[in-house]
Amino acid sequence: MNGKSQKYTEAPVKVLLAKPAIDGHDRGIFVLAKAFRDAGMDVIYAGLLPTPEEVVDTAINEDVDVIALSLLNGAHMTAFRNVMEILRKRGVNDIAVVGGGIIPDEDKPALEKMGITGNFGPGTPLSVIIDHIKFRAREVRKLRENEY
Amino acid sequence: MNTDILVQGILKGDYRAIARSISIIENSGYEARKDIISRIYPYGKAKIVGITGPPGVGKSTAIGTLAPLLATHGRVAVLAIDPASPFSGGAILGNRIRMQAALSKKGIYMRSTSNRLYNGGLSEYTWDIVKVLEAAGNDFIILETVGSGQADVDIMNIADITCVFLAPGLGDEIQAIKSGIMEIGDIFVINKIDREGSYLAIKDIRESLNMSNKLETPVIGVNSLTGENYDEVVKSILEIRPKNPREKYYKKLKMVVMEAIYNEYSDYVDRIEFEDNPLNEDPYTMAEQILVRDNKNFGEVKDR
Repeated sequence: MNGKSQKYTEAPVKVLLAKPAIDGHDRGIFVLAKAFRDAGMDVIYAGLLPTPEEVVDTAINEDVDVIALSLLNGAHMTAFRNVMEILRKRGVNDIAVVGGGIIPDEDKPALEKMGITGNFGPGTPLSVIIDHIKFRAREVRKLRENEY
Repeated sequence: MNTDILVQGILKGDYRAIARSISIIENSGYEARKDIISRIYPYGKAKIVGITGPPGVGKSTAIGTLAPLLATHGRVAVLAIDPASPFSGGAILGNRIRMQAALSKKGIYMRSTSNRLYNGGLSEYTWDIVKVLEAAGNDFIILETVGSGQADVDIMNIADITCVFLAPGLGDEIQAIKSGIMEIGDIFVINKIDREGSYLAIKDIRESLNMSNKLETPVIGVNSLTGENYDEVVKSILEIRPKNPREKYYKKLKMVVMEAIYNEYSDYVDRIEFEDNPLNEDPYTMAEQILVRDNKNFGEVKDR
């Protein structure tokens, strides 16, 4: 039992890992899930083949700080955009979205413009990804503290 | 923090408000928790269905089958608890994968939380989260524990009906007459009934229930993938009246009151370790001194 008043910004980061399209390559996302767990985060994996709607539903139900999207099949421009559009439609502006997978350099500016940061490719050190997610989560939580 | 907007959202059943207030309850400490709970407290009348059992017997998969069936009798919400890592404090909340498909079709609210290293099969704030889900107008709240050991029986204090899930091949009749988890079940469900030995498992549990004169307790063999015999589980959940609800209600309440009191005194308790000099008193005397001093104050307030 911890009686002290904690600060919301310091509680464990909650992150949703998802592959929002037809892509079964889940080895990488398992590695990430375990690395995030070892970094002290609460990790939810959306399972194989969720639709973008399911990803957003899950993110809202679980009140995650960060959605981490991964695709290795080249559908990122469509699928990631779908997720962002559904988020916008539901009026959610306080969940950060980061991306990763096989993403060509020329797609990265477009993704960044949608609000999807990171966009890490194979070979990125896990610590870089973890730091980025923690950074985004901190931003989001600062935003939320003012909101409610 | 604008609790008014949050509380309005909860009472309307808005998923975002519910989700956010659960996060605040888990993360923001005592004051914020009190703020939310004190405003929603009297609302809601849900039947709380506890699902417990050893790891891997199929609790989450079973909820994927059970929740949509219960949803035909009223609004359902699911709260599932997964263990945190004792090394990093992180957690992989994997319950959701097993029930995702069923839940998103029916629009059932489902939340998974980490137990944050709290013992007993639940998380520290389960009671508060259940209150929020109740206030949101749910008729049934399905509460899944961490895959439990024999002694994780906290669920019986929170759930109105406890379903103990087991699978064939977990042990013989000696296991079945042991104390702990085998005593708390209002319904026993043997999952994976298509496996070898399922009828022996049902027989062992029936026999042990017979020995303790609880033969009317349902023992149901089910198959979560095909949905076989789930109508019986639903029927039992609807029919069974909660046992000693008054006693349970006050027990729950006392637990939370206790925690609030602890919180009040935690300042004193935390201060102990910051004092450098070796302590003169034993811990019992120290505690008594604090209480005596406060009771004196309490008396003065009453005299005024």
